[in-house]
Amino acid sequence: MTFNRREFLATGAAATAAIGTPMILKAQAKEYVLGASLPLTGPFATAGQLVAPAFSLAQKLFNDEGGIAGIPIRFVTEDSGYVPQNTLANYQRVLATEGNSLVAYFSDSTGAMKLIAPELKGDNARLMGSTSFASELADPATHPYQYLSGPTYQDQFDILMQNIKLAGGSKIAIIYSNTEFGRDPLEHGRAKAAELGLEIVLEETTKPQGADIPTHVTKLAQSGAEHCILHGYVTGVWPQLIGGARQFGLPVQFHGTFWGMEKLIADRITAEAGPFLAGYQGVMPYRYFYDRDDAPRYQQYAALSKAMFAGTPLENYMSTWALQAMCGLELAMKALRATAEAGNELTADNVAENLSGISDWDSGGFFGGPVSMTNNKIGTGRVYEYSPETKLFTPSSDWLST
Amino acid sequence: MINGNLKADYSADERILNNRNKQFFVYGSMFFLTLFPVFADDYAVLMACKMGILLIAVIGVNVLTGYTGLISLGHGAFIAIGAYSTVIFSNLFDGLPTGILPFVVVPLAISVSAIIGIIVGLPSLRVKGLYLAVATLAASFIVKFLIEQDLFSPWTGGIVGIDTPVPNILGWELDTKREMYVLITVLAICTMLAAQNLFRTRVGRAFIAIRDRDYSAEILGISLLRYKLMSFAISAGYCGLSGALGAYFYARILPDQFGLNLSLELVAALIVGGMGRTLGPFFGVIIIMLVPELIKISMSSATGGSLDWARYTAPVQEIVFGLLLVFFLLKEPLGINQITDRMLRAINRWPFARG
Repeated sequence: MTFNRREFLATGAAATAAIGTPMILKAQAKEYVLGASLPLTGPFATAGQLVAPAFSLAQKLFNDEGGIAGIPIRFVTEDSGYVPQNTLANYQRVLATEGNSLVAYFSDSTGAMKLIAPELKGDNARLMGSTSFASELADPATHPYQYLSGPTYQDQFDILMQNIKLAGGSKIAIIYSNTEFGRDPLEHGRAKAAELGLEIVLEETTKPQGADIPTHVTKLAQSGAEHCILHGYVTGVWPQLIGGARQFGLPVQFHGTFWGMEKLIADRITAEAGPFLAGYQGVMPYRYFYDRDDAPRYQQYAALSKAMFAGTPLENYMSTWALQAMCGLELAMKALRATAEAGNELTADNVAENLSGISDWDSGGFFGGPVSMTNNKIGTGRVYEYSPETKLFTPSSDWLST
Repeated sequence: MINGNLKADYSADERILNNRNKQFFVYGSMFFLTLFPVFADDYAVLMACKMGILLIAVIGVNVLTGYTGLISLGHGAFIAIGAYSTVIFSNLFDGLPTGILPFVVVPLAISVSAIIGIIVGLPSLRVKGLYLAVATLAASFIVKFLIEQDLFSPWTGGIVGIDTPVPNILGWELDTKREMYVLITVLAICTMLAAQNLFRTRVGRAFIAIRDRDYSAEILGISLLRYKLMSFAISAGYCGLSGALGAYFYARILPDQFGLNLSLELVAALIVGGMGRTLGPFFGVIIIMLVPELIKISMSSATGGSLDWARYTAPVQEIVFGLLLVFFLLKEPLGINQITDRMLRAINRWPFARG
């Protein structure tokens, strides 16, 4: 039997198609990559360094559970120095090096999320969570692939103001940092206060670090406010403002938002300067890590933390900032797993569709009950109060939804 | 005896690329830059664009600091003015055909930067050296402060920043990084050539005379008022162009992008690359932008991208970069340009004495 050239080529092509096609169809990633940028240096290095171990824990936990449909995951985490352009460069680099293996990304600031958002299109799009609770991001129409792992700052203001109203408050002051973060819920806060019949007697802006405390405290004293909301701070300013007010003898009730509610900071301030944070309240989207009797997921984290971080402060406590990262990763993994189990490719569109469809999710303890993604956010939280005696934040309200 | 530099007529003496090695280096670089977007991935293109944008600004600082001898720590402000002017004018002239908008907006942005540059440069008539550096530092803070004010937020977006337009050049929409690369590279080369040629003119020679001894220059008939302010205007104009490209390149601009760090980065790039040299900014930008990335990539591959290590390697990267800068300055205070000069000279004179 002889072949002419045309027959030989045709037979070869047919054979390749018959043998090769199933292999192409079966070809899939050996591992999936989740990228992350964290502020391991720069102004928020304290927070970044505390959040970083959560990613090691998450990698082990999720892989022990079978990764994504049996395929292991790996985190590629890099420092951003809290510079949005660095986060964008990190994202582009991991996209270039990992290609289709990269299935999700965790970003480290509102600025970075906004800078990267327009880049998330076509083959460059990936599901993207972050440390941010910026209200602008909670809009699937403009940010279809980005999500918040809790309530927006506006929602947090709503929760605080509802609680102040319930406590019989009428005159409030808002002190905020002169940053995008600090200003985010301001306009909405004014509208909410008007709706609830609360009078805003002072709106005061401060530097995010190294603020002129006596001046701000004097203005607060002159305003006659009963309640004061502090927003837009992480490790500094908010404790000094409360300390200054107490030294001044002001009986104002202070309230904070998520980034000003970390127990490690409150404990350090109490140890260094005394119990002036007594009664400090604030909104927290998640249960604190030590409150894990009814939180089976937290119990898993605790067992792993004990094994992985033995001999370090992280052995027994996971910061609220790390919990936020974990919640974001849990949501991403839930969406990724649901997409893979449905037999679909892990494209940003498929995963984002599954993410926005999350409803009545039993988070295993993060939130008070089953929660749903609405507008790519989870609008729930609870007010906690700090006690210097017990060095714990304890709930002072029910879980409130917006 | 110097060989390889035969100049048989005046036109040969006036050539910018006056020997084969320089020609090979420059044409080779241009050939590489032309082919670059064909084989480079998105990340490499992003880095190249960032370097191109910074390069134009550093060339601007070189005009002022390297050639006129006036130190400025406020040039980040001119980049901010260029970037914000581009967005503001784009919104203002929304009715114009999009294809011609950049031809209106970018020159306006450059002009506004240049005018502000003249205002900021006024103290240079009374103070010099470190005193001038402190005076220009104020520009950096004032401009950022004004951008952040609620009063101007309808135009600047305030502290939350503002979305930027996609440039459209005669119907060609530059909506990908690769397309922006073409624009940025062409403009970076043009601005470098313009700067090189500036110092072959009367104006450029006046700048150099002021740098070398200002009162001697004045005795020679050079108006310090005119030329110092002209130097500030040209320098700020370059930064304005850099800002305009930055606005087109990034989908959003935020005031924090234009802080003091940016101004310091410009000066650092110029010192490392070589002040008062055409290619100094080019080498400086490579060192300032590429070396930290290379350190990051090499440390990341050495540790296998391990997160446990990343916590410790991130601060180490900054220390290594700082030490590298100190090393460069100690070994070659005149900048990288001096090293490349020596190399090119040695090649040029081979096999005769180097030096």
